[in-house]
Amino acid sequence: MSWLIGAALVMSALSGWLVVISRDPKRQVFALCANSLVLALLFFILQAPDVAFSEIAVDTVVVPLLFLIALAAIAINEGRR
Amino acid sequence: MTTRWRLIVLVPVLLVLGTAATEIILTLPSFGHPLTRYGMTVNTLAPALRNVSNAVTSVMYDFRGIDTLGEESMLICAVTAAVMLLRGRRGEDGNEQAGRVSGRAWAERSDAMVLMCRLFATMLFLFGVYVVLHGTVTPGGGFQGGVIAASSFTLLYLGGGYMVWRRMLHSPVLVALEGVGGLAYVLCAAVPLAFGYSALQNVLPLGNWKDLYSGGLMVIINIAVGIAVIGSFAALLLEFMEETRVPKGPVAEEDT
Repeated sequence: MSWLIGAALVMSALSGWLVVISRDPKRQVFALCANSLVLALLFFILQAPDVAFSEIAVDTVVVPLLFLIALAAIAINEGRR
Repeated sequence: MTTRWRLIVLVPVLLVLGTAATEIILTLPSFGHPLTRYGMTVNTLAPALRNVSNAVTSVMYDFRGIDTLGEESMLICAVTAAVMLLRGRRGEDGNEQAGRVSGRAWAERSDAMVLMCRLFATMLFLFGVYVVLHGTVTPGGGFQGGVIAASSFTLLYLGGGYMVWRRMLHSPVLVALEGVGGLAYVLCAAVPLAFGYSALQNVLPLGNWKDLYSGGLMVIINIAVGIAVIGSFAALLLEFMEETRVPKGPVAEEDT
């Protein structure tokens, strides 16, 4: 199964790089989502399902949502001014 | 700082950190070699002493339960601080309506989408409860299950929109859940103390290995943590979502 671990590591490096190179904050949030999903997969392959659960729930749902809400609040306030 | 200077600084840093990193990497156990001494000890002790099949839960809520109590209070303090900060300017007034970015198109949600979101929100919530209850048997536990259950509320928002979300989630209820969960954990630590045992000592009957009830006090702590995490994460989401709202009044009417 070591090729699976290697593939997951390469994918996590690639998706992390995507987060860094995306300059639009909204795209960056979704890149972060993808990165966290890949990380969760990596944790699962490394036989840590507990960590994978928290990674999926916290980093692909709650944290990006908070970022999106913050961006929306900024956009609404700018429109009002 | 120019690029050249950065590169010049990079060389000594790489020399120091690189040699240190190679030194550490060479002494690591070989890859795919999972049996560290602590891991092996826990793997033998958790089923033998506590009748628990999920060793991670036995470490978190029993062998090192006091540490988790500290983390739990940190979570509650952080959420309380965030809620206080966000409410400070806005107040607890519920007289608000959904804010909109001016100039963005808005489409009515279809019935199919509302239905799907409600179905999946229910299933996700039940799955979270399942993960909490089976914390001592299968991977998962109070924190993981609580976050999964709390994230089901975001589907309610997606399906129903702001008004439905506001009607279904009440901030006092969520904050009360958070407090009750935290208090239950503290009681789990304090009640054995009152009867002359050490804090968090597993005084309840342990149950059977691989059973839904296995691990004694761990089951109760699991549920307490689950309740606290559902409450705190949902309260956090609700308070953040309120930041995008505009008060009903002349300001909002100019927008739309």
